[in-house]
Amino acid sequence: MTRKNAMTRKKKKARSPDTSLATVVTLRLYVAGRAPNSVMAIANLQAICQQYLKGAYKLEIVDVCEQPRRALADGVLVTPSLAKVSPAPSSNIIGNLSDTGIVLAALGLNSAAAS
Amino acid sequence: MNPESLLTSRRRSGLETEAEFTRWVRQVVKGAAELQAFEAGQIDAVMDAGTNRAVLSPLARTALQGSNRFVRALLDALPVEACVLDAAGTVVTTNRAWRTFVDAGAGAGLGVREGANFLAACSDAIGIERAHATAVARGFRKVLAGVRQEYSRQYVCSGRIGYWTCTLTIAPIISDGVIHGLITRENVRAIRDAGAPRGVRPTNAGASAAMSRARTRNRLLATLPDKEYERLLSFLEPVKLRYGQVLYEPGERIEYVYFPIDCPVSLLSVVDGDQSLEVGLVGAEGMIGTPLALGGTTSSVRALVQGNGTAVRMHAEHFQKRLKRSPALRRALLKFIGELMMQVGQNAACNRFHVMEKRLARWLLMMRERLASSSFYLTHGFLADMLGARRESVTVSAHKLKRQKLISYNRGNITILDRRGLEAACCSCFQQIKIVAPESG
Repeated sequence: MTRKNAMTRKKKKARSPDTSLATVVTLRLYVAGRAPNSVMAIANLQAICQQYLKGAYKLEIVDVCEQPRRALADGVLVTPSLAKVSPAPSSNIIGNLSDTGIVLAALGLNSAAAS
Repeated sequence: MNPESLLTSRRRSGLETEAEFTRWVRQVVKGAAELQAFEAGQIDAVMDAGTNRAVLSPLARTALQGSNRFVRALLDALPVEACVLDAAGTVVTTNRAWRTFVDAGAGAGLGVREGANFLAACSDAIGIERAHATAVARGFRKVLAGVRQEYSRQYVCSGRIGYWTCTLTIAPIISDGVIHGLITRENVRAIRDAGAPRGVRPTNAGASAAMSRARTRNRLLATLPDKEYERLLSFLEPVKLRYGQVLYEPGERIEYVYFPIDCPVSLLSVVDGDQSLEVGLVGAEGMIGTPLALGGTTSSVRALVQGNGTAVRMHAEHFQKRLKRSPALRRALLKFIGELMMQVGQNAACNRFHVMEKRLARWLLMMRERLASSSFYLTHGFLADMLGARRESVTVSAHKLKRQKLISYNRGNITILDRRGLEAACCSCFQQIKIVAPESG
């Protein structure tokens, strides 16, 4: 293998973590207006996303008081409730998201938390 | 997760207390994760598939009610007057400043109390307030329909405390899927401070800022003594006139006389039912409906509005009564009628002896004087009707003026580029009429 080929391969390796970071995580958080647990869930989730996903996420907040039919159609029974829509596998977390470890595990970000 | 499988009850009543709510949730929620979060006190609401609504926990409900109290306190702390209306226009809540304004104004200026209907107050408005209130109601509906993001208007109102102007702003609030409108009222100031003319009493019903402006801008009204104008005020009402609107047709009974402010009105002689020729042009120097001042009741000409603008009008009956009692009004009107007759005579001679190009130049200059603007919208066909000519000859003449760089025109938008040049290009008739109707300023 020539020196040039080796350098090319090295560059490709260096790029691979960037590609994984660029994967956008789509999240949907169901809340009940400005009720206390809902407010906490929004704040906790935004802090986690900013720290571990660094902008590579899309968060949609659905107020079940405003859109109850949508919540029922999405199979949401209690709020606050967080749904990871993509990438697969999808997952759900119930509650005010105060346990960061559980949230990261559900989002598949355990390795990010460890590092 | 299928919500139907997790729901065993559709009952929503009797969930007021914490214990009742807990019992109900344990019945309907079967998922382990959901129950665990509920036992940890981390649940705000549970969906009820029976009613398609979210049932708030008593704790969350109390907290939201607390936040409503907070919102109310926040509204009260605002220095501007504010009120919240539901989609039907009923006043849901008001702030302290609004309540103070309502108490002081005794319902005037759309100052409505909680529980009353704002839109009903708009349609009940009278006098000068009426036009403003109608526009505000229209603005409110547009904001709630999502046609407009916000609506703002300079509003003039009257009340026990005098005449006032303020800025009314309407913004939408969307909460719980329901839309409300937030109305704020600010920059409130007395009109008298804004320079209403001497002699206009703020307590006189029907007087208003618009009327004050009308007086200064309609020169016929401006010549009247203060006392005489004050007597007329309660009979005058401002109206918006549209380009192309016909105020009277020949032979029609005159219902209102009009004092134009910023929209000239053409008097057209109609021959054989379809051919018309302009015989006079009246702007802010005069009045439309002169036959009434000479004892007649019908119009002999068609009165056609030449631009969007405003005028003040008076009912024919009131006008005739005032005319009998007011020598000053009679004098002002006779002077104007004399001037109008001179213009009509000059027009007749001009139409017979002068070439199309010169007549067109004269007409454009007359319009400029009366509109106080060098740009206006006129199609060649319309001009042909005014000048009693064929459309083609108007096009040729307009093209000649355009080639001399005196005017520019594009799709009916005419701009006078060189007034002095146009005056030199027009016939002597303009100078004759100009003496009669000096340039507005």
